[in-house]
Amino acid sequence: MQSIVAKDLTKQFGTFTAVNHINFEVEKGEIFGFLGANGAGKTTAIKMMSGLLLPTSGDALIGGYSIRTESKQIKKHIGYMSQRFSLYNDLTVFENMQLFGTVYGIPPKELKQRINNSLEELMLLDKKNSLVASIPLGWKQKLAFATAILHRPEIVFLDEPTSGVDPIVRREFWKLIYQAAAQGITIFVTTHYMDEAEYCHRISIMSDGCLKLIGTPDELKQQMGVNSIEEVFVKFVNR
Amino acid sequence: MKELRMILYKELIHIVRDKITLFLVLAIPIMLVLLFGFTISTEIRNAKVAVLDQSKDSQSVALIDKISSSGYFQVVAYPETESEIDRDFKEMDIKLAIIIPSEFEHSLEKEKIATLQIINDVSDLNVASVLNNYLQAITHDFITEYNHKGSESGTVEMVTNMRYNPEMNSVYMFVPGIITLIMIIVTALMSSITLAREKETGTMNMLLITPVKKVYVIIGKVIPYMCLSLISTAMIILISVFVFKMPVNGSIWLLLLLCIIFMFTAASFGMMISAISKTQIDAMMVTMMGLFLPTVLLSGFLFPLDNMPMFFQVLADVFPAKWFIIAIKDVMIKGSGFFDIWKYLGILILMAIVLITISLTNVDKRK
Repeated sequence: MQSIVAKDLTKQFGTFTAVNHINFEVEKGEIFGFLGANGAGKTTAIKMMSGLLLPTSGDALIGGYSIRTESKQIKKHIGYMSQRFSLYNDLTVFENMQLFGTVYGIPPKELKQRINNSLEELMLLDKKNSLVASIPLGWKQKLAFATAILHRPEIVFLDEPTSGVDPIVRREFWKLIYQAAAQGITIFVTTHYMDEAEYCHRISIMSDGCLKLIGTPDELKQQMGVNSIEEVFVKFVNR
Repeated sequence: MKELRMILYKELIHIVRDKITLFLVLAIPIMLVLLFGFTISTEIRNAKVAVLDQSKDSQSVALIDKISSSGYFQVVAYPETESEIDRDFKEMDIKLAIIIPSEFEHSLEKEKIATLQIINDVSDLNVASVLNNYLQAITHDFITEYNHKGSESGTVEMVTNMRYNPEMNSVYMFVPGIITLIMIIVTALMSSITLAREKETGTMNMLLITPVKKVYVIIGKVIPYMCLSLISTAMIILISVFVFKMPVNGSIWLLLLLCIIFMFTAASFGMMISAISKTQIDAMMVTMMGLFLPTVLLSGFLFPLDNMPMFFQVLADVFPAKWFIIAIKDVMIKGSGFFDIWKYLGILILMAIVLITISLTNVDKRK
């Protein structure tokens, strides 16, 4: 079953085409890496798929719902975490999770239970009542991820979730991603770390608004005749 | 509704934890009222005046007595001719000269009308206008007493260019103005700035990606600041009543209703600014240029509207502040009732409805 189906998805800002007729499918429970140079159109694509922007032409089905006509339905079934840390610094860990859990309509008792479980898994239970501003960046990112999947979405969009985070926390973060995927959550992730790209089930590389390559990491390496995704990326961007 | 409650709760936390802003929002109104009240006083005492009495009869002497015993004026010279008046202006630094024409008492008795000629030192327009008003009030008292003594009804006419403003008192002037400014700063500016801040930090996108209605996000933002501005307004009114003895002649409930309605109008401005601005600087500039400056300049709070060119008088009608200030003065000073000010209430409500409609139609659109 497909979680995401993009059909000729296009976005123009005036005469500039940020996303140019991209087509791809993502399976349920898949970890799909979305790579591309800065300004390649990744964030615009994510914004369209999460219902923040309306496509100029084309469409995408997210969990079976059209982003053109059913964005309200989509919002209930997706989670989102952005490259910038975007929880509220002046709210405590618990208050942040309570806020986002409530706007997703999780009943209060159930919500409390889920927050406690999730904090226990992250081993952040003792930080429950600390202001988010006071905890280190790596922990904040893990917390933001936990918040994004608190309402058990079908698909979660991660826009450069690990930028600025140390290698140890990145590894822990990817453990969380694998756990979520194992529970059947589809992961759509953008990143600039090529070692992370190797962790994905499949990756795609975007350039100038077009989707140029798509396949498993091994397929792409074979196709380009190189040994790492980093080489694939560099070779691809240089040609 | 649970979502809206949650958003409200979150905004409340933002406000309470931002101690400096909270302090400023609550302290600034108090500081403004006290500052205006104690420093910007338009009251003038013992202004030096010259009197040229060409009549020298019992009524003219009585009038001069009344003027010099009022406390506002100090008669320092009795020139004999008009040219001496010019000398007194230059040498004695008088602010005002009064010329009582000959046969003052006679014309008052026979023609029922006597004329006073006033010469003002208009180098300070404010002082001149304040003194003229004092003089007008004193003359009015004088003629009332004169009319009581006989059964006659005479009048004294003052030849002057200044207008009569019976409630020329500085506290009355600035309290409505400060309430207006605070309402606009707290309700419109603060709410739109904090909303723009969320757009800048990215938390706005986090909220918009959730199923919560964008309208809730904005309403949830505005309501706490509306409450805050109402608290500030109450403090301003309490200080002006208990410290500066400003009367509340009308119904306190009507005053409250009026303030709440204006708060909605200001909040709807805030919503519109929030809908169109992307950054905190945008929000600040739009509020300053589009709302704050017109309120200061075109509300009649600092500068009288009557003297402005027609274009600005018409422009002033478009901003809510003018109508609110007229209404609040009517209620507090004149003691007007609901039926006296319903028109102004209607205008304010209409403005709020139009603004809210405009911003709501823009709010839920994806582009």
